[in-house]
Amino acid sequence: MDKRINRASMSIIDEFTEKVRNENIKEHVIKTAPLMVLAVLVVVFSVACGASFVSKDNLVSIMNQLAIPLVVALGLTFVIMIGSIDLSINGSVGMAGSLMSCLVLNSLYPNMNMGLWGVLLAIMASMVCGIIIGIIHVKLHIPSFMVTFAFLYICKGFGMLSYQGLIPTIRDPLLVDAAKASFIGVPFITWVAVALFAVCYYIQEYTAFGRHIYAVGTNESVPRSVGVNVDMVKIKVFTLAALLFGIAGVIGTIRLGQGQVGVGEGLMFPAQAAVVVGGTSLSGGKGGVLNTVTGVLIMTVLNNGLVLLSVNPFIRTALSGIIILVAVILTIQRNNQIISK
Amino acid sequence: MTQTMEPFFSARNITKAFSGTHALKGVDLDVYPGEIVGLVGENGAGKSTLLKIIIGAQSPSSGTMTIHGRNYNPRTPMEANQEGIGMVFQEQSLIVNLNVAQNIFFGHEKEFSEFGMINWKKMNKAAAEVLAEVDAKDITPNKKVLDLNFATRQIIEIAKVMNVTKAKAGRTCLILLDEPTSILNEGEVQNLFIQMRKIAQRGHSVVFVSHRLDEVLEVTDRIYVYKDGESVGSLKTRDATEAKLYQMMVGRFTNTEYYHLESQRDPEEAIELETRDLGLHGLFKHVDIKLRKGEVLGLCGVVGSGKEEICSVLCGDEKPTSGEILLNGKQVQFRSPKEALEHGILMIPKERLYEGVIMTLSVEANIALSNNKKIARGIFISKKKIAAQANSWIDRLRIKTRGRKELLLQLSGGNQQKVVFSRALASQSDILILNHPTRGVDVGAKEEIYALIREMVNTGKSVILLGDTLDECIGMSNRVMVLKDGLVTGEFDAPVNGKPSQVDVVSLMM
Amino acid sequence: MANDTKTASSVQSRMKLRDNITRYFSFSAIVILLVGLSLTQQNFLGAANIKNMLRDTAPLMIMSAGMTSVLIFGSIDLSTGAMCSVSNVLFVQCLNVYCANLPPWLATICAFALSLSFGFFAGLLLGMIHVKLKVPSFIASLGFMSVWQSAALLISDKSVSVQKVMWFATDWFKIPVLGVIGLPLVLALLIVGLVYVIQGHTTVGKNLYAIGGNERAARVAGVPVDSTKISVFVVNGLCAALGGIFLAAKLRSCAPTTGDPFTLLIVASCVLGGTALSGGRGSALGTIIGVFTVALINNGLNFIGVSPYWQNVVFGVFVLAAIAISVDRSVRGLTIK
Repeated sequence: MDKRINRASMSIIDEFTEKVRNENIKEHVIKTAPLMVLAVLVVVFSVACGASFVSKDNLVSIMNQLAIPLVVALGLTFVIMIGSIDLSINGSVGMAGSLMSCLVLNSLYPNMNMGLWGVLLAIMASMVCGIIIGIIHVKLHIPSFMVTFAFLYICKGFGMLSYQGLIPTIRDPLLVDAAKASFIGVPFITWVAVALFAVCYYIQEYTAFGRHIYAVGTNESVPRSVGVNVDMVKIKVFTLAALLFGIAGVIGTIRLGQGQVGVGEGLMFPAQAAVVVGGTSLSGGKGGVLNTVTGVLIMTVLNNGLVLLSVNPFIRTALSGIIILVAVILTIQRNNQIISK
Repeated sequence: MTQTMEPFFSARNITKAFSGTHALKGVDLDVYPGEIVGLVGENGAGKSTLLKIIIGAQSPSSGTMTIHGRNYNPRTPMEANQEGIGMVFQEQSLIVNLNVAQNIFFGHEKEFSEFGMINWKKMNKAAAEVLAEVDAKDITPNKKVLDLNFATRQIIEIAKVMNVTKAKAGRTCLILLDEPTSILNEGEVQNLFIQMRKIAQRGHSVVFVSHRLDEVLEVTDRIYVYKDGESVGSLKTRDATEAKLYQMMVGRFTNTEYYHLESQRDPEEAIELETRDLGLHGLFKHVDIKLRKGEVLGLCGVVGSGKEEICSVLCGDEKPTSGEILLNGKQVQFRSPKEALEHGILMIPKERLYEGVIMTLSVEANIALSNNKKIARGIFISKKKIAAQANSWIDRLRIKTRGRKELLLQLSGGNQQKVVFSRALASQSDILILNHPTRGVDVGAKEEIYALIREMVNTGKSVILLGDTLDECIGMSNRVMVLKDGLVTGEFDAPVNGKPSQVDVVSLMM
Repeated sequence: MANDTKTASSVQSRMKLRDNITRYFSFSAIVILLVGLSLTQQNFLGAANIKNMLRDTAPLMIMSAGMTSVLIFGSIDLSTGAMCSVSNVLFVQCLNVYCANLPPWLATICAFALSLSFGFFAGLLLGMIHVKLKVPSFIASLGFMSVWQSAALLISDKSVSVQKVMWFATDWFKIPVLGVIGLPLVLALLIVGLVYVIQGHTTVGKNLYAIGGNERAARVAGVPVDSTKISVFVVNGLCAALGGIFLAAKLRSCAPTTGDPFTLLIVASCVLGGTALSGGRGSALGTIIGVFTVALINNGLNFIGVSPYWQNVVFGVFVLAAIAISVDRSVRGLTIK
């Protein structure tokens, strides 16, 4: 009787291991799915739109379009990796852009001419917001979605206050040229985005901070028990995200040529969708910037293709929300509760 | 395995009290260099608590510890690590999306950073050295933990602990292993034993906690037996047998009055609840239960035996993956505890704080949770009925509270449990699943609960009982089912004059 | 949480203190604002201004009533403002479109029915996705926020006025009751009263607080968690839709982004009224106070002539302050489900 029990009981453990193995298979599928989706999209649009999609002009256009969403999504990625979320994107971006346009040589405040210092100050303002968000979230125990949702309005407000409805046009020659500059056919703005991606990848893969982000997102008690300052990690993440949002605002405004809070409009949902679709899970501890690049590519190619097919712009924007819903539904781990931290 | 005269680690008279109950009542532990010490005892005997105190995750209420002759009083696990003590917890502590090397050196990355960049090659090489120390040369340091099986992860945890404690080489370290074999199969267990022996050969010591006595007998040099928070004794492994250990672990004088044995009646013949080949993938299978009206059926087993999961399935919290449940002969399926309640099945859950009571609600609100039909007319609740019901139960069960409106978080554990019981009884369910009903409750309240269970059953209800101790399970039940590793290993009748001995039952549990 | 009576009673008294501070915070804010503004500004307490102010609170009141229940059981619906926008444009477009083919009274009924059905189904969809597919409410409602914002723009991408022939469908908004209190506010208060009755005197309400207090325990105790949650989301959807209709009636026109700024205001009202983000506490009556506080601040700022751009900043800071006061700091890692 002992042998029978042993064999049957071994199979309970084997059943358990099998269950875990199945979950791992699901993980692997989730890992490769984004690339497959991108490939499918490219094929579908090549067939549906023909030459207008695969033309060199359109490819350059896609690279232009993905620059700012990429920078924003990079910042958001780190936040989502620690299991939080950042809803302040539109406000942060808008505020940085508006501030910068008021500090450099512009049409509204003719006495201001801070040049690159103005750019730097605007980005710093965003970063300061990020620090405050992090501190409020960590010290006052307010969930990240609430803090950042409030800051969406606060930052937007500050942004609008800076120009009070009279949109300043940028007159600084350096910045005006930067909007048109390009290097080997690719515009300067896109190069900035690529450089930032490299920096983020470095942070994620080659610093202790990057490793700690994964740990905090997986299970906070483990890094805490080893002496890692989990609170500082979180504050740093929100600061880094806000910094990236600020840069996005600045380069977006340079491209636009004028300062208005609207430069941040419509950035949040595609960014959220890009991060989730790329494979970075909302529960944290998984994914990374490489995943986000794929996600941003998917969203940009999708948008580009739909524009070529003359799909109603409002349907296109609704798509981000639907994609978020579908991606989360498909990838969520039903047994883990996503704690909104 | 040398044994010098002096133990290098000593714990004396360690007590740990948790508001009313004592997890540890004064235990001792000595560990000599180069030995493997086993720690056995029933659930709740205090083994895990002692380990957590040694590693600094909890502080003792009183008692002293010394290591290498010096006073030892760690406030955090890191301080324990610095003294050379490390622990592999029962819950996995690896970050699955990082690779092996990153996990081993987690928190110590600074040692490998050059010009602000982490030199992964250097870390991988160092990791390989650490793994070689535990003879795990075939684990590649840059593989993600996610892709490794549990046995490998266990070895990595041990390697990680060995690394963290060996800050100064040439000093004896103490490695604590809390139930490391619960998810390993036979072959993997043997590998683990080989590792443990190697650690001991190098002069370090291991404390090995396991509920599987055959394993403890195989790999340890000495064994400590704990019971009810006290140390029953220690013996050399070569002098120990399973029978002897059982006797030490559970030998208890069963107080017949404590369990109100005089009120125990035989159940009726009618089968109220039946399960056929019930199974939940990966947790238990082939479970056949026949619960008669008026019967107390006790389920005995260690943690991980599947008894908790069976309760979850029966009360509707989880859906079984195989088999069927029959209520009075008719097959039923529950999609939620609400549906089970409608059929008359209700569970009193084990973790009172997390799933038993609602702290932010009052006594009367908690009591009224499960019986909407009785206290409401249509959808409107009758505050009068709720109040009357609450007052009646406060009296009947002698719940110590300032009033029915008092919030649950004000009450003591025992009284909170009484509120949970009130709720269960107020729901007028026919079948009650009592999951560790006396956990965290003082002795006086325990006895009241036993009397209450007898009364419930004698008025026609049926009970499935998961006892806090083996003693309680046997004493209170008409019949006892034993589970081990997800399977039923035995059944005993437990009439008043024919209670099975605890030794018999325990032998089927482990 | 300790079972020790000493610490337990201090926890309960701390909870009470915190609840009181929040409620008195709102009360005192109202009093201070009323006194301050009436002293420094002429005509602040004039009938016209008060009438406007009270009428203005009606949409916010209704939507906050719906959201209160959502917050009580520990979730949130960020798409409320967007649902309001959709209902807003849907209502007006329906009126304008149907009046061509149907008698005016029928067109009105259709418009009401359509808007309310939208709210019903939007709430139902969100509830199902949250409950059955186990998607956390904040991300699910975030996704829907995007969808409904776009839907509103699809229905009408610019401001549209109600055609003259259909004006009676919105004129009820101006009916005065008891002088300054208009019909809208009375209706809103009735709805809040209804929600209060449901919360405090029905099995659904009892279940609500149980789920908010400890969802796991409620589930094990046999409380119908799933159906309760879905119903609450449906009610929230209906309230959002009703808010959109009220807004359309107030301005006699619609705009696709009408509802967007409301989400933050609704959360502010609920929190200022004593409803905690973590769930388990709060009531519709408290929300009334919160709504008046918010309305007073809004109206006061307008009256003083503060740039509307400051309002965003003010409300953002205000909401954070209110939540910071009301958050139970002993809970590590707030769980918003």
